[in-house]
Amino acid sequence: MVRRHHVHRVRKQLIFLLLMAGWGGPGHCLAADPERSVIQIMVFSQQPSFDMPWRFDPVRRSGGSGFVMKGKRIMTNAHVVTWGRQILVRRYQDPKPYVAEVEYVGHDCDLAVLRVKDDSFFENLEPLEFGELPKVRSSVVTYGYPAGGEEISYTRGVVSRIELTIYAHIGNRQLLSVQTDAAINPGNSGGPVIQDDKVVGVAFQGLGGLENAGFFIPPPVIMHFLKDIEDDKYQGFPQVGARLVDLQNPAYRSYLKLSDNNLGARVDSLLPRPGFEHILKPDDVILKIGEFPVASDGTILYQGNRLSGSMGFLMAQHGEKVPVQLWRDGKQMDLEVPVFINESDRASGYQYDSLPRYYVYGGLVFTPLSLDYLRTLGRDAAEPAVGPLYYELRYRPFEEPDKARPEPVVLSTVMPDEANANVNAGREMVDRINGVRIEKLEDVIRAFETNTNAFDTIEFLPRNHIESLVRSEAVDATARVLKTYGISRDRRL
Amino acid sequence: MRTLLFILSLLCGPVAAFAAAQPGAGDASTWTRSIVTIEVARKQFDYYQPWGRRTVRAQKTGLVLNDREILTTADAMFDRTLVRLQKNGRGRWFVGDVSWVDYQANLAIVTTKESDFWTDLKPVKLASKIDPDAPLQIVRWREGNLETRRAEFSQFSVREGQLCGLNHVTMEVASDIQSAGWSEPVINDSHVVGLITSQEGRECNATPMAFIEPILKARAAGSYKGLGYYHFFWQPSQNPALQARLKLPGEARGVVVIDVPRRPDAGESVLRKEDIILNIDGFDIDVEGDYQDPMFGYLMLENLSSRGKWAGDVSRIKIWRDGKEMEVSYTIPRFDYDNALVPGATYDKEPEYLIVGGLVFQPLTDSYLQAWGAEWKRRSPFRLFYYREQEKTPEQPSLVILSQVLPDPYNIGYTDNRWIVLSKINGQRITTLPDIQEALKKPSGQFHVIEFASGDTLQRLVLAAGSEEQAATQRVLERYGIEKGFYFAPGKGK
Repeated sequence: MVRRHHVHRVRKQLIFLLLMAGWGGPGHCLAADPERSVIQIMVFSQQPSFDMPWRFDPVRRSGGSGFVMKGKRIMTNAHVVTWGRQILVRRYQDPKPYVAEVEYVGHDCDLAVLRVKDDSFFENLEPLEFGELPKVRSSVVTYGYPAGGEEISYTRGVVSRIELTIYAHIGNRQLLSVQTDAAINPGNSGGPVIQDDKVVGVAFQGLGGLENAGFFIPPPVIMHFLKDIEDDKYQGFPQVGARLVDLQNPAYRSYLKLSDNNLGARVDSLLPRPGFEHILKPDDVILKIGEFPVASDGTILYQGNRLSGSMGFLMAQHGEKVPVQLWRDGKQMDLEVPVFINESDRASGYQYDSLPRYYVYGGLVFTPLSLDYLRTLGRDAAEPAVGPLYYELRYRPFEEPDKARPEPVVLSTVMPDEANANVNAGREMVDRINGVRIEKLEDVIRAFETNTNAFDTIEFLPRNHIESLVRSEAVDATARVLKTYGISRDRRL
Repeated sequence: MRTLLFILSLLCGPVAAFAAAQPGAGDASTWTRSIVTIEVARKQFDYYQPWGRRTVRAQKTGLVLNDREILTTADAMFDRTLVRLQKNGRGRWFVGDVSWVDYQANLAIVTTKESDFWTDLKPVKLASKIDPDAPLQIVRWREGNLETRRAEFSQFSVREGQLCGLNHVTMEVASDIQSAGWSEPVINDSHVVGLITSQEGRECNATPMAFIEPILKARAAGSYKGLGYYHFFWQPSQNPALQARLKLPGEARGVVVIDVPRRPDAGESVLRKEDIILNIDGFDIDVEGDYQDPMFGYLMLENLSSRGKWAGDVSRIKIWRDGKEMEVSYTIPRFDYDNALVPGATYDKEPEYLIVGGLVFQPLTDSYLQAWGAEWKRRSPFRLFYYREQEKTPEQPSLVILSQVLPDPYNIGYTDNRWIVLSKINGQRITTLPDIQEALKKPSGQFHVIEFASGDTLQRLVLAAGSEEQAATQRVLERYGIEKGFYFAPGKGK
């Protein structure tokens, strides 16, 4: 079996459900610790529209959970507070809402730290301490404010499985997670999972179609996040930049002059990363990552759990070097392999914090191609016509890295105006404008603003569809379109 | 859809489907002697297990022509093992022979050597000219009776053929008939004006006789060279700014050529990107890409590639290029399923495969992708499907995939790999199954090194060569009950 260790991109074969919920009023009965430190979070959020990027979706009310940690802070999930316009938090059995704000957020690990403006919020609240990675088959209790009632909820369950899982909030990262049969429902998100009075996890997602399965973020991920923000800046989980596969075929082991000792994962390929010099090479065999021997199925034994070997790299911080023992060209050697966060594939995962970039010209709306944009197409995203966009985002960077554009740009929509009345385009990837190859959104602006011809010409991929505008009309139309459709600015960069 | 409808037709009970005298149907006895039932038994291949096959049957309608010929569509005639004919909707079956089939045109001629069959049969009258206001009927044998259904003319349009991507004129009619699409004739008074090729709901698509008759005549005269098509891409040019930029004076007209891929016949591509096509063979092209057909009204220009022309014929195309009008001679290339990087269909060809130590290699074809069922364009693996969008090149004329791995100790560690395109074996480029055979003759020492196309899937694996490989292949064949370790089309490989 080939086990892919890279967390660069993963197939979403299973549908993970984030566990936010609509929220109700406060609870009214007493309970004992540690529930006093469990926080109810109410969020009014507003997500931008990625196909009409100056717009926002209607305000949405949702609820989640959190808990008090040391330093007068609240830990919760990133997805609970994402795009939050106002975040309110409530103490256990206290009807008063307090205003909170996000201090740190890690979208790849779906964790966030909140600060409450009114310090009195933390009076008489004890911070919860973090424990260790729980053992499989041990019992845990989940605390939170899930849908279906207004009181705090407790659900007991058993740790069923510990492995690397897709984190649905970002969609293209796998990190360590723990599966439990405790009922984890919408609204539980961000709530603590407790064992022996210590936090051993943060509830964060369920799995569609699978009953009695909830997932929580375990201490190794939480601690990595907390260490990362010690310098007041969150960077994220790093990658080694290589695709590791198992090495169990006797012929391949013999080909690499490697003994049949059940050790070693093979570097099958290196992930394309602009400007990055790889230390590993294809057909290197990784025998040990840090202190962890790597088995021939690509796993390491981590606290009694067989986990993908990438776990050995994920525990390092961005820019650190991980000692690696490897087999290369028939010899064993030791290397220090630096690991870095990968920002080159941001568009193939869900993006937050930054509002979508766009540029409006003559009523034509240009925006970067992204997974968020494709999601706006809904059911149409499965249509063959969208294939070229999907290929550009998902496959070309790997198949033809030299031809891949740093930021592919799409013509998202055409805002109707007399200047573009006969332009028949949309949902297409832009190849060239006025002869300029479009590598990023700034190229679109440059191509239009530097044009001295009477016409603007836009060429699309993959079949070279062409559209033209009369330049003078398009320039005049831009201001008119902005006014007509209530777009405050022609660009967001 | 048609498959489902066909199954339903087999399950239906003896419904009251008989010839009611209806306006325009003419004398029912005319049709009882001119319409026959054709039953085709054929092999249905399982592309997941290309060494296996099932037998399926389909019933369709045939029209009696002169010279002891039966006209029908080519649908379901491929991979046939037995063709039977029945007249009068009942009684004995006669063994038929397919004397001619053209899948691109979706037409076939069936005959039989049994002279008893022809007794009392009467040729139909074909009519190319259709009066849209005239009453239409659809006629067929069903459960031993002649079923006649009223049909309403909707429009003529240009659509992809049922069995290939070639565009030609189609007649759309609406009818309450069910499970049609199997060459049922559309009749107007005493003439057949079209053959039904598909149905969805009440909407039926028919190939008009105006398309069929010239082919039959050319075939009879020995001058039929197969259908061709325009091997270039164009776009409508409603946008006056685009026409102005291309300096076309006067009123808006023509369409803009946007892509001219390499011709499949290696002929000269006389068109260029940003040419404006103004006229083809005397027909003006409007900004939508339509021309005014004297018989059918506005039709898409693609129809001109088959309107009385065959592959190898020339279309005279007036274009606007670089501020001047000029005329070019465009030799129409033949539509061949192998023109594409992913061949469009593999009719009358058994699925090719090659098994090496449990690794199953297959050519990537539409037939393979269609194994994902009616929704194959959505459900087949995206990356494999997307190769259909890519052009065939001299360096990459076709693709071979590792379709699956049949588990064996020899291939342990590789069994989860599938649907990956091969790049090289032992350093040799692989585009066909025979390429694999050749490459395996030159192992890298004691090993075969197999490389896959660049991407986010597995890039490389290594297998033991020599006796270990041969033993593993033999073991896999025995264990999985596979008769032969490979099948290549005749003329290919060993």
